[in-house]
Amino acid sequence: MTIRAHAGARTAWVFVLPVLAAIVLMLILPTLLALALSVTDYSVYALADWSNLRFVGVDNFVQLFSTPLFWRALGNTAVFAILGVPMAIGASLGAALLLNSASVHWKPLWRVLLFAPYVTSVVATAVVWRFLLNTRFGLLNYALSVVGIAPVDWLGNPRLSIPAILLFVTWKVFGYNMVVFTAALSAVPQDLDEAARLDGAGRWTRFRHVTLPAIGPTVLLAAVMSVAGFLQIFTEPYVMTLGGPAQSTTTVLYFMFDQGLKWWNLGQAGAVAFVLFLLILALTFVQARMGRRYEWL
Amino acid sequence: MAVRRARAVLSTLAVAVLTLLVITPLLWMVTVSFMPRGESGQFPPPLWPSRWSWENYHELLARRLIDGAWFDYRIVPAIWNSLGVAAVSTLLGLLMTVPAGYAFAKLRFRGRERLLQMLLAALVVPGQVAMLPLFLIFKELGLVNSYAGVILPSLAGIFAVLFVRQATMSIPDEMLDAARLDGASEARIFVSIVLPLLAPVTVTLALFMFLGSWNDFLWPLIVLADQHLFTLPVAVASIAREHSADGELMMAASVVTTLPVLLLFLALQRFYIGGLLGGSVKG
Amino acid sequence: MAAAGIGTAAWATGACTRRADPDALSFWAMGYEGDYSPHLTTAFTRMTGIRVETQTLSWTEAHEKLLTAFAGNSLPDVFMLPAHWVGEFAMVGALARMPDATLLDDMLPGALNLTRAGGSGYAVPWVIGTQVQYYRRDLIEQAGYPEPPADWAEWRQMGLALKRRYPDAFTILLYLNWPEALLTFAAQLGAGLLRDRNTRGDFASPEFREALRFYKSLFDDGLAPRVLATQIQDPVGAFAQGYFAIYPEGPSLLLDMRRRAAEIPPDKWRTATMPTPHGPAAAPGACHTLVVAKTSRRPREAWSLVRHMTSVPSGLRFQRLIGDLPARASAWRDPQLANPTLKPFAEQIAHLSPTPALVEFEQIRAEVQLIAERVVRGLVDVNTATTEMNRRVDLMLAKRRALVEAGRIA
Repeated sequence: MTIRAHAGARTAWVFVLPVLAAIVLMLILPTLLALALSVTDYSVYALADWSNLRFVGVDNFVQLFSTPLFWRALGNTAVFAILGVPMAIGASLGAALLLNSASVHWKPLWRVLLFAPYVTSVVATAVVWRFLLNTRFGLLNYALSVVGIAPVDWLGNPRLSIPAILLFVTWKVFGYNMVVFTAALSAVPQDLDEAARLDGAGRWTRFRHVTLPAIGPTVLLAAVMSVAGFLQIFTEPYVMTLGGPAQSTTTVLYFMFDQGLKWWNLGQAGAVAFVLFLLILALTFVQARMGRRYEWL
Repeated sequence: MAVRRARAVLSTLAVAVLTLLVITPLLWMVTVSFMPRGESGQFPPPLWPSRWSWENYHELLARRLIDGAWFDYRIVPAIWNSLGVAAVSTLLGLLMTVPAGYAFAKLRFRGRERLLQMLLAALVVPGQVAMLPLFLIFKELGLVNSYAGVILPSLAGIFAVLFVRQATMSIPDEMLDAARLDGASEARIFVSIVLPLLAPVTVTLALFMFLGSWNDFLWPLIVLADQHLFTLPVAVASIAREHSADGELMMAASVVTTLPVLLLFLALQRFYIGGLLGGSVKG
Repeated sequence: MAAAGIGTAAWATGACTRRADPDALSFWAMGYEGDYSPHLTTAFTRMTGIRVETQTLSWTEAHEKLLTAFAGNSLPDVFMLPAHWVGEFAMVGALARMPDATLLDDMLPGALNLTRAGGSGYAVPWVIGTQVQYYRRDLIEQAGYPEPPADWAEWRQMGLALKRRYPDAFTILLYLNWPEALLTFAAQLGAGLLRDRNTRGDFASPEFREALRFYKSLFDDGLAPRVLATQIQDPVGAFAQGYFAIYPEGPSLLLDMRRRAAEIPPDKWRTATMPTPHGPAAAPGACHTLVVAKTSRRPREAWSLVRHMTSVPSGLRFQRLIGDLPARASAWRDPQLANPTLKPFAEQIAHLSPTPALVEFEQIRAEVQLIAERVVRGLVDVNTATTEMNRRVDLMLAKRRALVEAGRIA
């Protein structure tokens, strides 16, 4: 039996080593390298000649923290998360509750159609949404004009650009959590809901006291994961607004890419990566704490 | 009875309206792509083409000879590139993650629990942080501007490993032990017992991987320089930059990009949504 | 299963250097120059038998794409480079030295001037351009002017008259994320932008502040809409519909105007030189050059392609096709260029002001425009903004300053 166990262990290593190697080489090592870059002044000059590379300690961070655009990017990212999480989670929950009602017919059909935007390419649908949101010829402003609202400059007004992009993001992603919530809702004890109904409890009371406690942990987990997602938002502003107007949609990741790939200030970009890394780490910590409290993990 | 019927009609209607709103952008994308050039730039925006025209697709997909010089948006080659890249990265991804997920669930080896914890920890590392240094590494290895450069990072599938592990947990140990007692090798057990049981999960995972690779934009954009290697989203984004005025043409490009995955999703939605319903909620 | 894995892995790596046509020279150019280069290269292929694969880059991503391609060793044999990027790409070692000085014979002095600033001996001027006013003759006439006045003060009066007549329309389109207009005003006032051997910003100078104030006033008075390039999906269409009366653009707009003649007939628009503060002034020019990558495996063929593309006949052909103005002096003696539409271009090209040539300038332009956009949107005042521009630019130039002081770069 020990020989067999040994053979089993060898097979196990054959099975896990390739993917572990990929993870270390493609993810862990580059991440460490990003952190290492943050203490150098790697720039176009270093690209020209390695001898121009210097160790600069925390200079990159000092400069980063004195860069207004970095703080603005951080603020924009926070706005994305603060507005986006309720929007996306609310839409998902609303759709899931609507679909969950016992009297709705053809549920699988609706579920598939509502989920469809999630599987589309961001680049392709962002093109579509840029036309939908067009001030002069956009469908959205047309719909608003029908109810008497003047044209809105969605992507041109620095105050509205984030909500406009969030409209697109919500449309694109809400289907995912809708399905997740549907699964959670199916675990809500029906007899309890029925009993409450017979006791004369209203719809809201039943939601508040029966449904919510049952799906609460799932919603909370989805919310925390969404925060992590919004911290990494990049493609949508990149293809819709190029970070504008007035840098109102420049996010942390956008800033990192501008610094890194556009101007080749990899030292600065490394410092941004470090900050982003810490933010995600902190979020994970919060998630783990909440997880212990609600026993997900 | 009548009240219940009315309720059913009302709630179904509410869901139907919501669904219509949600898929309007996709439907509108299709109708605009068939409009004659310039028709969509009017107010009020037309919902339906005045006449159905293939001209946008023709311009987008066909090579045209103008004044003795060839013009081409290279969308057709990009479709093949995307298909190839997505197929290979899905295949390699499955080859690497399914056995690993099984091993983490059912095979005993030293350090398994610690490795598992490390994987869970690494799950939070944002991939974008790794991208710039990865570019520098690939530059040294000569992988920039190659399909290998596009595909390799997608193989670090932590989520996929954990997903397979979760699914494998439900296979009873007795089944595997019985096969072991019969003298089957570990590899044989995996291939002839475990894999068939994991087939639905594998299909789900394959779909996740294929869609992920097909829609991936940022990394291919960074790593591919030569337009002959462009994947579809990169090609479409580069047209979108220069032709943002040509709404109908861009809609045709969007249709070409989204339609294949939408059809694939619709065909296999049972696995996809099923996988989400089963795998996402613990306990 | 493993065999399949190895097979596909081999496919993926084997495809590393795959090109559709391995014998062809690869050529990259931006915008219309890229789209229309096949018209010039077919003649080259006919004469030499060397095939050319052209790839178009969009302007918004051209800089990072080229730099990334250099870092990834995937630059094409020949590519187009704006004159003020030449220094940067020469410094990083991306460019091959010009083998033959006769490539620069018969060049417009303005073109050579713009190119020389960025390090000579690498780039051959190809096309030259400068922004002039394309104006709607009919609209300007309705405001009581036969043509846009030449100096700022009167020009503004015309704009206000137009605004009174068409309160919903605008006089001029100035994209808030494009720095050309502001830099034009700055050049006209003689603002230097940088000082101390290009190691510090000089934006708090009275000249630059005046330029920024004038720029801002155009938006405050409702003469220019507060829009970004991403918002106007079809500027030519908007120009045709009279959304704005003046469209400052380079010669490449000539192509759009010809293509869209059905919407905006040729008798409805004319060109004029940019208005100046008082009397003739320098205007910033753009010169696009052709360069050969150091990594090109066939430099001889590559340089012969450069020679062909920059020849007088190619230049004249390009001018007919897309409006671009040739950098070769003798092309300007051709009757084709005696067209009145081109006269304002010729006048401005006669005294161009050079763009500072340093690696960071592209980033400086972008940063300065970002702050200018905030000024226009009323988020910050002119004096604070110019101080902030200096501070930001000084930070950006810290590395350069250190290298200049250490004598490592000029």
